[in-house]
Amino acid sequence: MTNILEIRGLRACITGGREVLKGIDLTVAPGEVHAIMGPNGAGKSTLSSVLAGKPGYEVTAGSVFYKGVDLLSMPPDARAREGLFLAFQYPVEIPGVNNMYFLRAALNAGRRQRGQPELDAQQFLKAVREKLKLLDIGDDLLRRAVNVGFSGGEKKRNEIFQMAMLEPNLALLDETDSGLDIDALRVVSDGVNRLRDPGRAIIMVTHYQRLLDYVVPDHVHVLADGRIVASGDRHFAVELEQTGYAHLCDAA
Amino acid sequence: MLITDGSAPFQEAFRHRLAAADQPDWLRAQRRAGMEGFTAMGFPSRRHEAWRFTDLDLLTSEPRPPSLTDAPSLPADSLEPWRLAGPSHRLVLVNGRFDPALSAIGGLPAGVWLAPLAETVQRRPDVAATAFGADVNALSALNAALFADGAVLVLAPGTVLETPVEIIHYSTTGDAQASAHPRLRVMLGEGAGATLVETAAGDGNGWTNAVIDVTLDADAELIHVHVQNEGTEAVHTCLLTAELARQARYRAFTLVTGACLSHRDMQVALAGPGAAFTLHGAYLLDGGQETTLAVRADHKAPDCRTEEVVKGVLQGAAHGVFLGTVAVRPGADGTDARQLNRNLLLSPSARVDTKPELEIFADDVKCSHGATVGSLDEAALFYLQARGIDPVTARSMLVAAFAADVIDAARLTDGVDALLRRHLDRWLGREGGLS
Repeated sequence: MTNILEIRGLRACITGGREVLKGIDLTVAPGEVHAIMGPNGAGKSTLSSVLAGKPGYEVTAGSVFYKGVDLLSMPPDARAREGLFLAFQYPVEIPGVNNMYFLRAALNAGRRQRGQPELDAQQFLKAVREKLKLLDIGDDLLRRAVNVGFSGGEKKRNEIFQMAMLEPNLALLDETDSGLDIDALRVVSDGVNRLRDPGRAIIMVTHYQRLLDYVVPDHVHVLADGRIVASGDRHFAVELEQTGYAHLCDAA
Repeated sequence: MLITDGSAPFQEAFRHRLAAADQPDWLRAQRRAGMEGFTAMGFPSRRHEAWRFTDLDLLTSEPRPPSLTDAPSLPADSLEPWRLAGPSHRLVLVNGRFDPALSAIGGLPAGVWLAPLAETVQRRPDVAATAFGADVNALSALNAALFADGAVLVLAPGTVLETPVEIIHYSTTGDAQASAHPRLRVMLGEGAGATLVETAAGDGNGWTNAVIDVTLDADAELIHVHVQNEGTEAVHTCLLTAELARQARYRAFTLVTGACLSHRDMQVALAGPGAAFTLHGAYLLDGGQETTLAVRADHKAPDCRTEEVVKGVLQGAAHGVFLGTVAVRPGADGTDARQLNRNLLLSPSARVDTKPELEIFADDVKCSHGATVGSLDEAALFYLQARGIDPVTARSMLVAAFAADVIDAARLTDGVDALLRRHLDRWLGREGGLS
C-alpha cells in the first residue's frame, strides 16, 4: 500500500532568510496518527506550512511524496483538492465571506477534482447538519462570515468541522490545542478521534503533551533545530513530559 | 494646463439647437447664457480642485460636438442588462434624446410628474424653467447650451411613489465620437418620497455630459442610485447639485464600472435643520480606466448629518480619485459628518488619490474622515486556497466581499439591491483573469 506521506531529506528556509528545516525524514502510512513535538522555534509550524504550500518558504533540498506524487510541485489549492488538509494554528478571519458559502465552494472544488457531482444547497445543508453534531457547533456560527468574531475555541472547532466536511486523506493539525480550555480541548479531541479512519492519516503538531492524552498517537517524533531527533511510540510522549526536550536538543 | 477657446467645436451644434423651432424665448436665452458661460470658463483644468487629479486630455484632446442626426433605433432588448427586474416607471434617453419605444413610463399616481424635459418645456414651462440657472461650472453651462432632452420628476407634497423611477441614458456612437448632454431635474415636495435609479450605459466612445439638479423639500426622502457602466472608450461627466430642506433625506448610491474617463461632481447643500445626506458607493475599474468622485457636503443648517462610505477596487493601470469635502458653515452646530474611502489595489500599476477634507466653521460638531489604500489580504487568500479554492475564485470572493459590504450598508430595497449585485457579479465575472 502506498504511503500517504514520504518526506526525504527536506530542507527549507524562510524566503530570503534563515534555514528552518535541516533535513526531515518522515513516513506516514494510512490510518496512522503521528504527533510532532518539540520546543518553540524547532520548525514544527514551518513543516506544516511547507507541506500545505504556504507562500514565504523555499524548499532547498529533499522531496515530499504525497500518495505517491510529488507534493511540492503542486499549488496549495491543488494539494487541498487532493485531500491534504491543514488545520490552522491561527484561523484567518475573512469579513464579508459567508462561512457556508465558503465551505460549499471548498467542498465542491474537491468533488469536481475527484469527478464527483457537486452538492446542491440542500444536499450540502444535510451534510452540514450531520457533521455539526460532531463538534457541538451552533447553526449561527455558519451564518456568520468566516471566523469573524469567533472566539479562539470557536475558530479551532470550525477548523475541525471543516476537516470533517472535507474528509481529507492527510490532516495536519497545527497546534490545534493551543488556546483551548479543557472543555473545548475535549470537544475538539473527540471530533478528531471520530475522524480517525483506516484510510486517513493525521499529523498533530503540538507543543504540549495534553492533546495526546485525548488523541492517542501511534508515533511520536521530536523536532529540534529543524531535524527529527527522536521518535517513539505513544509512550514516548509521556516520557518526554518528564524528561523535557533539552537533552534531545543538545544531542541535535 | 492650457485653456484655449474650447467652444469652437460646439458652435455649429449650438446654432442648430438655437434655431430649433418650438422652444420658448426663455429657453433660447438659457442656451445663450450657457454658451457664454462655457466660452468664458473653457474646459476645466487641473487648477480646479475637483479636477486636480483628473487626466483631462481624454476630454479635451478630441472635440466631441453632439450629433445633429437622430440616434439610431436600438433593438428592444438592448437595455436588458441594465434594467431593474420588476416594475418601474422607465424613461430612456438614447444619445441624449428621449426614446419613446424603449421607454415605459406607465400610469403615474396623482401628484407625480415624470416626463422628458422637452415635453415638460412645452406642457409645464414653469417646472421646466427650474431645470436651468444653477449652472455652477463650465460643463453644466455647455450642457445648458447643447442639451437635446432630459427628464423631469416632480412629486407634489405628501406623495409617495412606491414603484421606482428608472432613467437610462444609453450612448451609442458608432464610428464618430459625439457628445450627449442630458439634463435632469428632480423636485420632491414636502413629505414626498421616491426611488430613482439612473443608469448610464452604452457601447459608444462618445462623451456623456449630464447635469442633474435635485431639490428636496422638508421631510422628503429621495433614494437615488446612479450606475455608470458606459463603454470602456467613453467619457462620462456629471454635475449633480442637491438642496435639502428641513429633515429631508437624500440617500445616494453611486456605482462606477464604465468609461475610460469619468468624473462625478456631487454638490449637496444641507440647507434646512436636521437634513441628512448619505452616500454609499463603489468604483470598480480595470485597464486604463479613470474615475473621479468629487463630493461636497455643505452643512448650512444645524443638526444635519452626512455619511459617506465609498470603496474602490482598482486593477490594471486604473486610477481612482476620491475628493470629499464636508464644509460646516457658521451656525451649523450639531453637525454629524463621517467620510470613509477605502481602496483595494489589485495590481502594482493601479493608483488611487484620496482626499477627504473638512472645512469647519462651527463649534459644536462631530466630524470624522478616513481613507485606506491596501491590497488583498494574503493570509485570507492562502486560507481559501488551503481549502481547495483556486486562486482566481479566491481573489474574486475577497473582492466581492470588499465591494458588497457597501451595498449591504446602503440598505436598499430588494430590486435595487439585486441590480447592484448583478453589476458587481458581472464585473467580477468579466474579470475572469483577476490577477
